[in-house]
Amino acid sequence: MNIRAQISVVFHLDKCLGCHTCSLACKNIWTDRPGTEYMWWNNVETKPGAGYPSLWEDQQKYKGGWDAGGKLKSTSKSRIVANIFHHPSMPTMDDYYEPWTYDYQELFNAPEGADQPTARPISLVTGKHIDIEAGPNWDDDLGGSPIYAAHDPNLAGLTAQQRQQLFAVEQLVFFYLPRICNHCLNPACVAACPSAALYKRGEDGIVLLDQKRCRAWRACVPACPYKKSYYNWSTGKSEKCILCFPRIETGQAPACFHACVGRIRYLGVLLYDADRIREAAARPNDELIDAHRSLILDPFDPEVIAGARKCNMPESTIAAAQKSPVYQYVKVWKLALPPHVEFRTLPMLFYVPPMAPVMAARQGDALNHVSQDLFHDIEQARVPIAYLANLLAAGNESKIGYALRKQKAVRWYRRAQTVGDVDAQTALRMLREADCSAEEADAIYRLTALSTFEERFVIPAGHRELGVEALQDPLKHKQQAGFGFIAGPRRGL
Amino acid sequence: MNKRNTLRRARRRTLFPFGRAIFVRTMLLTTLFSLARNGFSQEIAEYFRTRCTSCHTIGGGRLTGPDLKNVMQRAAANGKDREWLIRFMQDPQAAIQSGDAYALKLQRETPGNAVMPTQPDMTRQLAGSLLDLIEAETKLERSQFAGSPISLAPFTPEDVQLGRELFRGSQSLAGGAPPCISCHAVQGLAALGGGRLGPDLTLVNERLGGPKGVSTWLLAPPMPTMQSVFKTKPLKPEEIHALAAFLDHSALQGAPADMSGPLGFFLLGLGGAVAGLVLVDGFWSKRFRSVRYPLVHGQQQEGDE
Repeated sequence: MNIRAQISVVFHLDKCLGCHTCSLACKNIWTDRPGTEYMWWNNVETKPGAGYPSLWEDQQKYKGGWDAGGKLKSTSKSRIVANIFHHPSMPTMDDYYEPWTYDYQELFNAPEGADQPTARPISLVTGKHIDIEAGPNWDDDLGGSPIYAAHDPNLAGLTAQQRQQLFAVEQLVFFYLPRICNHCLNPACVAACPSAALYKRGEDGIVLLDQKRCRAWRACVPACPYKKSYYNWSTGKSEKCILCFPRIETGQAPACFHACVGRIRYLGVLLYDADRIREAAARPNDELIDAHRSLILDPFDPEVIAGARKCNMPESTIAAAQKSPVYQYVKVWKLALPPHVEFRTLPMLFYVPPMAPVMAARQGDALNHVSQDLFHDIEQARVPIAYLANLLAAGNESKIGYALRKQKAVRWYRRAQTVGDVDAQTALRMLREADCSAEEADAIYRLTALSTFEERFVIPAGHRELGVEALQDPLKHKQQAGFGFIAGPRRGL
Repeated sequence: MNKRNTLRRARRRTLFPFGRAIFVRTMLLTTLFSLARNGFSQEIAEYFRTRCTSCHTIGGGRLTGPDLKNVMQRAAANGKDREWLIRFMQDPQAAIQSGDAYALKLQRETPGNAVMPTQPDMTRQLAGSLLDLIEAETKLERSQFAGSPISLAPFTPEDVQLGRELFRGSQSLAGGAPPCISCHAVQGLAALGGGRLGPDLTLVNERLGGPKGVSTWLLAPPMPTMQSVFKTKPLKPEEIHALAAFLDHSALQGAPADMSGPLGFFLLGLGGAVAGLVLVDGFWSKRFRSVRYPLVHGQQQEGDE
């Protein structure tokens, strides 16, 4: 066994309120430089929806990720030569959106006329006046759904009637999907880079892009099926989410995590077996979720602990893995699921699927739901299970059903405990049906609803000293580090 | 003992500051040089043979250029001294452009009004040596440069056919030189005529004064571009005969090749490029162009419904 540590993430979609605070926290720290205006390392999109960039999940178009044979869809050794000057499945700027600001001087300088002066939008790329046609969240809250949401690739497999109902007034439903780089176990961007500029950090699994090595091939952009690697047209280098590693290394939560208003985000260490990645990524679609989960090892297992020590893992990292909230959600409770695991990059960001009210029915003038238990009958939920299964379980509806049923049982059980207006026996039966003990239900409730900052973000010590020690005398490094010139990324070699 | 040896070596070094070997070599060279200046060394005669005989004989009659027998006397009769001849040899073009009457007369007498090509390595000293050589050879009963080793047998259709193959390169030249077509064009030979580095050879007979001129030219091509190739990879006499036959034959074909016009070539290239782009566009018509625009503006591709 080759045991390594991965800083992993859970987003609890049932708690996300779509406020975009995370996106702005990230943008203000990392992507307000020239050339990065269009990038949203963290973005929040409405589902169903086309997302950002448009229809990013449609790999017929973008050719991201791996095929079952372990080959990249976007490129190969021969194709990288044939497409040396132009990558055929690269998203255009228009597929993201043309970033803009407003010419506020027009408010003061506009000549007197019949109309109020307005601040006209100007492109942040060309500096010229533009007509805004798209934005990073253009189809927010189902805006323009006949165009955008209707073409959501996750609707595949839904009947025409189901699709129609999804967007009918009084029945429509949507939820939010915050997205950052998944820091995958089997990252396609790393594999695609001809300059070896991308790498996955050994100590914590964060996928980074070396600005000095990047040669603007842009192979990572089409290769990433989540479209989370972006090309900076100003520096001529690609950039991506760095999981705020300077904050992680100093024990702080990444900016988007820290800023999250709904407290939907959890961060912790997972131990995984690096030797079995290739084998797990090659499994058929319906086995992928289980294969992915099987890579994650039990940090309490003495054998795993011994193996981790043999792989030179620091004790503090093992201790952090034992306290990891992500481990609970993903492996113990099986509530959190990876997005589009069929892209076979083995993402290490997991989503707890959102609950949704059941279908409404009109009875005379009153609008009522059709179920006795408002949040129980998951089959009658407004979001069809097939849709969530396409998004979070490679079409495997039983995995989504398991996660939703457990969440609802916990809800029912807690209501019996605290409010007492539902039958405790029914609640326990529901727990049993959902494969959940009363203790587990309490634990899920605590971590979901009452968790503190320290419980949500269990950040392992960075142990930079171990990395420094390997190359240099730590004392010498301490005396020299931080002295000199900062060399920002620049066009050219 | 050791000390004395070192001292002696040091003294020798001051005498021959660059070492004994260089000193000896310098002496040897100086001797050779003075020999070359006195007698007509083999080198000057060889130079004449490789560089001049393609156009000139000494007592063998006019080829492309005039017969050089008694060239000094003819020049003197027209009031030109040895100095003028040296200058002419160094830069014939300049002499003609200066409007000198004798130079112009020489040009008029040359077939095709050709001008003697400028030899970049023609120093004053070399030109003087050559004049000395010509003068010495003029006095002989029969100069070694009186005639060329060119076969004057009449051309047969087989010669023409062989010449065509040699020109096109379908048969290699024995010396290993590249075929003529890589630099020259000829009317009616190939679709695109041939190379464009050298001139069109359709009417070369007129310019060089008939097959004899062509043959002598080929024996030792005097142009710098050809020289560098054919100096080490000379043509064989039968090859020269065949090529002269072919060029004599092509001379009968009339005007130079039409496609040799730069406009025709340019238009062909342009047309080819456009045709290629259309083909490529057709082949990759389903390639990735944009996702958002067709989604929003309703230009759905197939399969999107």
